[in-house]
Amino acid sequence: MTTAELAVLTEVEWPRGAEPPAVPGFVVSSFSPLVTELARRCLAERHGSAPAPATVGERTAALLVTASGDAESAAHVAHAVDTGARVGPLLFFQSVPNSVAGHVATQWGLGGPVLCVSPVGGARETGLARAGLLIDDGDADEVLVVCVEQAAPPAAGQTGDGPSGSAFLVSRGETR
Amino acid sequence: MSAVSVLGRGAHAQLAGGLGGTAAFAPVRRFDVDRRRVRVAATLPEAGSLGDELAGVVREACERAGLTPAQRAATPLLLAVHGHPAAGRVSEKHGSTPTAAGFAAELAASTELGGVAGVYTCACVSASTAVADAAALMRLGRADRVVVAAGYLVEPDQFALFDAGRAMATDGAARPFSAGRGGLLLGDAVSAIVLESGARDPLAEVVGWGRAGDGYHTVRPDPEGAGLARAITAALRRAGVLPAEVGYVNANASGAEGDSAEAAALHRALGAAAATVPVSSTKSVHGHGLEGSGLLELIVTAQAIHAGKLPVNAGYLGADPACALDVIVGAPREAASPYALSLNAAFGGANTALLVRAS
Repeated sequence: MTTAELAVLTEVEWPRGAEPPAVPGFVVSSFSPLVTELARRCLAERHGSAPAPATVGERTAALLVTASGDAESAAHVAHAVDTGARVGPLLFFQSVPNSVAGHVATQWGLGGPVLCVSPVGGARETGLARAGLLIDDGDADEVLVVCVEQAAPPAAGQTGDGPSGSAFLVSRGETR
Repeated sequence: MSAVSVLGRGAHAQLAGGLGGTAAFAPVRRFDVDRRRVRVAATLPEAGSLGDELAGVVREACERAGLTPAQRAATPLLLAVHGHPAAGRVSEKHGSTPTAAGFAAELAASTELGGVAGVYTCACVSASTAVADAAALMRLGRADRVVVAAGYLVEPDQFALFDAGRAMATDGAARPFSAGRGGLLLGDAVSAIVLESGARDPLAEVVGWGRAGDGYHTVRPDPEGAGLARAITAALRRAGVLPAEVGYVNANASGAEGDSAEAAALHRALGAAAATVPVSSTKSVHGHGLEGSGLLELIVTAQAIHAGKLPVNAGYLGADPACALDVIVGAPREAASPYALSLNAAFGGANTALLVRAS
């Protein structure tokens, strides 16, 4: 089988310039709120409200594809370390992208693999290839792929583009 | 295979350290820890940069596997890292943020490998997920040979975060599964392996693998261990191996309170065999190598069953009823089976199980 045979069940794009709503427990950065909101919009198209039906949810993986990860949090921590400022305990929990992927999995009752990758080539292509591998290898029937990039800091006097991202749910044909 | 940790350079040094069972935690000299609550880790004093150390283990692993330059150039890299080492400290004028994939591409180029096939940034299951994916690629006929590399060198940012999260032990020792355990301690872990489909004289075989999520909590493990149990069961099923055939478990346990979740997972997945299979966590000796941990632990595990000797669980003070396992304490044990599990779990409820067979 090839990834070309994957069926995209639902797909959402992040509106340019929009900011995601805050998520309790995640601070400083828009990264985790963006992942959470993209996942919600994508999964809501498939399942309505959370959680997903148990039979599907237990076999659904959460895959986060991001090149620069939570760059805002990383810069915040680096600055605190370099200047001797206090590092808040909540930053520990969001120090890896897995945490928000697990947050989504918990909200939606997803029991498939949880993983985060940095894209080699395009984010969408990387997401489709990794999702196809998980499904063909048998550890998941469906894979929620969330591709997220935070915006680079805007140049002086310029307005930033805001974060970008998309989310899609894939399977090989109809899942029970 | 090749590895670098506080236990030394080379794969054999890792097994020797694991069998010796002496915890290698010491005051951190690599960076300033004066502001930290905990000030020890398992660091190799003369370690180079992460990029240089990764290049070193990749080159050594390829040489030990006897790869010709042409074979190297046809072999892709799967890399497990936290991110680009420069991330977080890029000035605005620098422009684009350095990425983990960019770091992987630099590594593949400097070691003359044939490009990058995957870059894993999934915290403490990064390396083990990369190995599982590599094995899957081969089972599905999508690759014949890959290099899997994984690395973490103790550095100030993660150290500060683990300190802020009160995740590290304040008594200078990591005590997996033990009564009185107080947290993990960090350690260097830089490793590489060459995985080949149908290799003629392998050091060990990855015969089973599984990945599953808890769907239970953002960062805490499911106390019933259901996700990790499913990963273990998937690994055994792929290999056609029964729970009673597993002769050793190199556990994920780090000395944290959540070690009991792993004990629950082992009982759930292995049934009666969970009470008798020898278990240790080599993190008790070499520390928690985060994104690098899964590969270093797989190398220790593979070598242990190859040598027929099982590593010690250091720091053990006494049994915790919530961790009813046959923990290897005091001295190494003889291996009674060629099969061993190497388990890993991470924030996000991510779990992996790798099943290896001694050659």
